[in-house]
Amino acid sequence: MAETSLRLPRKPKGERPQYFPDPAVDKLISIILSLAGEVAVMHDRHDTLERIMAARGLVSRDDIESFSATREVLAERDRWREAFLAEVLRVVRQDREMLERETPRTYQSVVESVEV
Amino acid sequence: MQPAATHEQFRHAILPEMTIDEAARQDFVKSLKYYLATEVSPGNAMAFENRVRPAFEARERRPPRDHHEIRRAMQADPYFKLWSSMQRSSQEMMWASVITPVERQLDTLIAKAKSLPPAGGTLTLDPDLPIPSYHAAVDIHCMPGGYHTEFAPDDVAEGAIYDRAVYIYTMGRMSPYNDDIGASQVAWIRRQFPDFKPKRILDMGCTVGHSTIPYAEAYPDADIYGIDIGAPVLRYAHARAESLGYKVHYSQQNAEHTNFPNGFFDLIVSHIMVHETSNTAFRKIMAESQRLLTEGGIVVHSETPPYKDLPAFDAFMLDWDTLNNNEPYWGASHELDFKKLAADAGFDPDKQFTALAPSAFEEGEARRTKVFQGGDFGGGGVWFLFGFRK
Repeated sequence: MAETSLRLPRKPKGERPQYFPDPAVDKLISIILSLAGEVAVMHDRHDTLERIMAARGLVSRDDIESFSATREVLAERDRWREAFLAEVLRVVRQDREMLERETPRTYQSVVESVEV
Repeated sequence: MQPAATHEQFRHAILPEMTIDEAARQDFVKSLKYYLATEVSPGNAMAFENRVRPAFEARERRPPRDHHEIRRAMQADPYFKLWSSMQRSSQEMMWASVITPVERQLDTLIAKAKSLPPAGGTLTLDPDLPIPSYHAAVDIHCMPGGYHTEFAPDDVAEGAIYDRAVYIYTMGRMSPYNDDIGASQVAWIRRQFPDFKPKRILDMGCTVGHSTIPYAEAYPDADIYGIDIGAPVLRYAHARAESLGYKVHYSQQNAEHTNFPNGFFDLIVSHIMVHETSNTAFRKIMAESQRLLTEGGIVVHSETPPYKDLPAFDAFMLDWDTLNNNEPYWGASHELDFKKLAADAGFDPDKQFTALAPSAFEEGEARRTKVFQGGDFGGGGVWFLFGFRK
């Protein structure tokens, strides 16, 4: 659990480069890579769990298949999915943070300002 | 050989803790970055040789002159665009993977930073210090908030974020202490100037002090000072040094103009600081260094190699950060005229030197790509040093 409700920004200040004619393509690439990362996180956790369980002879595959979740478990999974989506959709949040916080300024103007 | 797992970073007292999912997310970023550097990035050279250069030469009837012309030709190439888009995303993912655990435990980190057993170092902050425009305009290397933004009283967030991210960014190739630039540079100084025994040493732009500590190790009798413009990184640097048992005096100052007396230092160093300033600022830093050095004193800065020392295509790839990773001064700082800078600041241009210092972290050797390219920092295995003797 978080110690405070403080939220640190995820958006680095500055104009985000655009590589494809439609900026949505860049965002999709970011989303897909983040999603791949979350799949890898899940994989590592599953791998850990299954190795521990197998080593201790605790849980069979049938036990997992026949598991029935309670309402509390389902609510916990809802909360997990919310955090999961915030991670995967981070680039969309960056757009929102820019709209909230930054005065428009081209990156080229910053390069020129430091090369004076 | 895959880079070090992220849990191999040395766990000093102030390093943030990671849950297993947070650690797995950071491991994924490291694997993604390594994959991009070793499996995806090499395709850019192929795209250049196979289609971009032939098209350029057919049109212009000559080869591209320099990395600027290569960049303009490559920017439209679909492979380069896809790699760039993924590289930028991997950078943002890296910061997010570190920010999430720091955000979660920030109260604990702030409390810890205040309660570590003292090693004798000091911390002096200046809340009125203006943040220079080259740090305020954009967040350097896409680190949200840069080195200076404070989110809570006595904040250390940016220090914790930076310390952890440097390890992931360099894929562990700068040692478990992230200290390879400082360690390699001080080893080179000791080899080059064996009779030089500095009494006071200043590390400019020290951030979390990961490059400062090797000087305390190498010159145990010297007084060690570190300055930076960011309060959160300095609070963290102080806590980090104290927890490791090193006495360092950190203060919040701009290297362009400090409050130290004339001739106070025998040795002034910086580590990948120069490219995070500006032409105007670095000229002032040179003049300030000249003022601060005693007669016979030495100033040494480390960076990646100047573009003139690289083939034009390699310079183009190393230059990626300038326009794609919020490093606005990266490009211009790789084309500095050291002799002219020396003369302008009152140093003898004949006492200006450059060198390539081999990495002091031998275990990182098998994990390096031996390439200087965007997104592969610390892969070269060599640091470019330039300096001046008074």
